Order: sequence, then structure tokens, then C-alpha cells
Amino acid sequence: MAVTFTLNGQQRRYSGDPRTSLMDALRRDFRLTGTKDVCGEGFCGACLVHIDGVPKVSCLLPIGAVEGADVTTIEGVGDLGTLNPVQQAFEDFDVVQCGMCFPGMVMTLSHFLQDNPRPSRDEVKSALVGNICRCTGYERIIDAVMSLHNSAEGRK
Amino acid sequence: MDSANTDALFLRPTDIKAALVAMDGGAVPVAGGTWVMRASLRGDSNDQAFVSLSQIDALHEVAEGEDFLRIGALVTHDHLADFARNLPELGALTQAAGMSANPAIRRTATIGGNICARGFTAADLVPALLALNATVEVHSSSRQDTTPIAEYLQARTQRRAAGLLTTISVPRKRGHSAHARALLRKAGEYPIANISAFIDMDANNTIKTVRIAVGAVEAMPKRWHSLEKALLGQPFSADAADMARDLLDDFTPRDSVDAPDWYRLRVLPGLVRQAFASITDQSREDA
Repeated sequence: MAVTFTLNGQQRRYSGDPRTSLMDALRRDFRLTGTKDVCGEGFCGACLVHIDGVPKVSCLLPIGAVEGADVTTIEGVGDLGTLNPVQQAFEDFDVVQCGMCFPGMVMTLSHFLQDNPRPSRDEVKSALVGNICRCTGYERIIDAVMSLHNSAEGRK
Repeated sequence: MDSANTDALFLRPTDIKAALVAMDGGAVPVAGGTWVMRASLRGDSNDQAFVSLSQIDALHEVAEGEDFLRIGALVTHDHLADFARNLPELGALTQAAGMSANPAIRRTATIGGNICARGFTAADLVPALLALNATVEVHSSSRQDTTPIAEYLQARTQRRAAGLLTTISVPRKRGHSAHARALLRKAGEYPIANISAFIDMDANNTIKTVRIAVGAVEAMPKRWHSLEKALLGQPFSADAADMARDLLDDFTPRDSVDAPDWYRLRVLPGLVRQAFASITDQSREDA
């Protein structure tokens, strides 16, 4: 049984052991190393991808489970050459330090902001409970997310 | 790796009978996968084939009746928290499902997995189900049994060989329930101790039914029978936390890297206070 699924908009096929974690398959077989291998236990959020539009930890998901699913990684979250609004806000606020946690942060926040376009700081922090950062202290990340309110207002 | 080999490694049955056949052949049942996929971190073998339960529609269903809530084993924490939020007597279940782990794990981890994960000492849903007197339905190739969850937990090791947990039934009884947990950070971690409480009072606010379950302190969650006995017949305003402080000998707490044994006991009275405060708030909302 090869596992067939959509990966960043393209139909892909994986013929290895279907018990392999999606994270390992993405990094090793599909060469998409934006999804990070950090805790391996679902706590840190660095391996988050979107499965059918919803953020899930790829380190604990066997690739066999994504048969027929739509998988989006950090490489596919924006259009080629264009950053999505969350990525752009992080760039504008110069918040990235080592970079290990940020793909996961983008995956969490891109989804969260779809349903919560005007969150409070506390709501953003709750959304980021499963994304651990050892570098930044988080506040500038929250500043960047909160700036998206104003961008939305400016675009009206 | 050729296709014939990989077919045998990851089975995707669409009904319970086929899943049981696979399990009888040695395949490991996989719900959300959040426990099974950490086997190597625990030093457990991960060589067996997986039988994914996700294609069995009946296991994803939640059914609400006037006096019950029936939950399929593959229902995620997230879905359960959302479904049960308007059922005040099941507040413990909503809170346990809604606070556990982190958002991404809650979208994947299932109620069945939470109950069946052998060696998982810090489940949140399990104490809530104990306090709410839940039963579980287990299918094997020859029979189907309904068992109180406390009994199922005791026999969990044998049950794994015997069948598949398919449904959890939670009676809806008059009363209020709450779940409280102590963590090292504010959120996003396993609890070092948790408590679920169910209380029903009479018209004079005297406690006529009380069930209190404690998790993460010992290797398995259990009911706090001595505290229940002390509270029965008392006014709800009685200081339950104070009573709890005198009844900590009921527990043999575990010592581990995240918290020492004495600390797990130390936080219990505070958790009792929190759970009772939550029940007080719920009662006021009803009034």
C-alpha cells in the first residue's frame, strides 16, 4: 500500500513503511525540512503541519493515517515568493531568533486567525500553548500577531 | 519496501469485526496515535503492525440522550469538549477534555486512547469518567461487555488482549461536576495531580451524592472514598479542602522527574478547593 495524499497542493505518493511518522517522511523522503524535529512527543509544536486545514503534530502521526488527506507544511503555507500575513508580520517585527519554533508558530497562528481575526493577547497566548520557544520570551511574537488587527483595519 | 509488505504493516478496517481480526493477528490498535507513536521513547517495541481505527465510522459518533451521553472511542478531546459544553452536569468532562495537553494534541488524541494507553499516568479524561460513573463497552470476537470504568482500568492489561473498547457511556444525573488540575506551567503539560468531582445537593444544599476521583498522583486514577464519606451529608459550604488535608494518607504518591511524591499530595487540597469553587459557580449560574 503506497500512501497517496496531497502535499502542498501536489499529489504525492509514499511507498515506505506507513508506520513512519509524517514528520520523518516529510523531512527525509520529501526533503521538506521546514517541519522541525524537536521533542518528538507532541509538546513543542515545532513539527506542526495542517492536515485537511487543521494543525496537527506530525511527529505523532503515522504517514499511513494521511491517505487521501490534504497536507500543508510551512513550505506550502504561502504562495511561492510571497509570505502569508503571519509570516510577514514576524518578518516586520523581526521576531525570529534561532528559527526552530517558527514554522510551527506560523502553522498554529495561520489557522487560529482564520476563526479568530481579532483576538486578545490572552487568546493568542492560549492558542500558542502548544508552541514552545526557548529564545524570544513570546511577547514580540504576540505584538506581531496583534499588529494584524491593524492591518486588517487598514485594508477595509 | 514493496507494496505487499507495507499493506500488512498498516491496516485500515472499516468495521469493528475486521479490526478485531487484525488485533487477534497481533496488530496494535491505533486511535489518534499520540501514545503508540511514542513507544520508542518509552523503550517499548514498535515492531507490530498497526490497525488504524479511524475508518470505523461508528467509533466517531457522539449520541446525547436525556439521561446519557454515549461517546465513540475515536472521539477527540476537542470534539468532546465542544459537544459536552452545554451539558452542565458533565462539566468535569468538558473541562478535562478542553484543558488536556495542548490544542493540536486535543484535535488528535481520543477518549478511547486516553483510557487504553497502558502506562499513561496523567490522563485527565479518566478521573472525570470515574467521577461521572461512566461505563465502557468492549467488543471481542466472541462477546460484547459493558463494564464500569473503574473495573476496566483494573483489568486493563488483560483487556488489551481481550478486545476493543468501542464506546464510553456517561450517565447524565442531576448535579454538577468539575475538573481541576495542577501543572508546572499554566498550560500545555501533563498534570502533576488532578481531581474530578461530582456533587448533588438537596434543597438545603446538603451533599447527598459525591464522587471524587484523583489522577496523576498514583500510577492509576482512583476514587477518594474517604473524602467522599466525610463529605456525604455535610453542607456544601463545609471546607472540603480542610477535610482533604486530613485524608491524604489514602494515597501512595509516585515520585518522578516532573514532581516529587510529597508535592503531588501537597497540591490536592487546593485542587479540591478549585473543583468545589467551580461547582459553586455553576450552581449560581443555574439559580
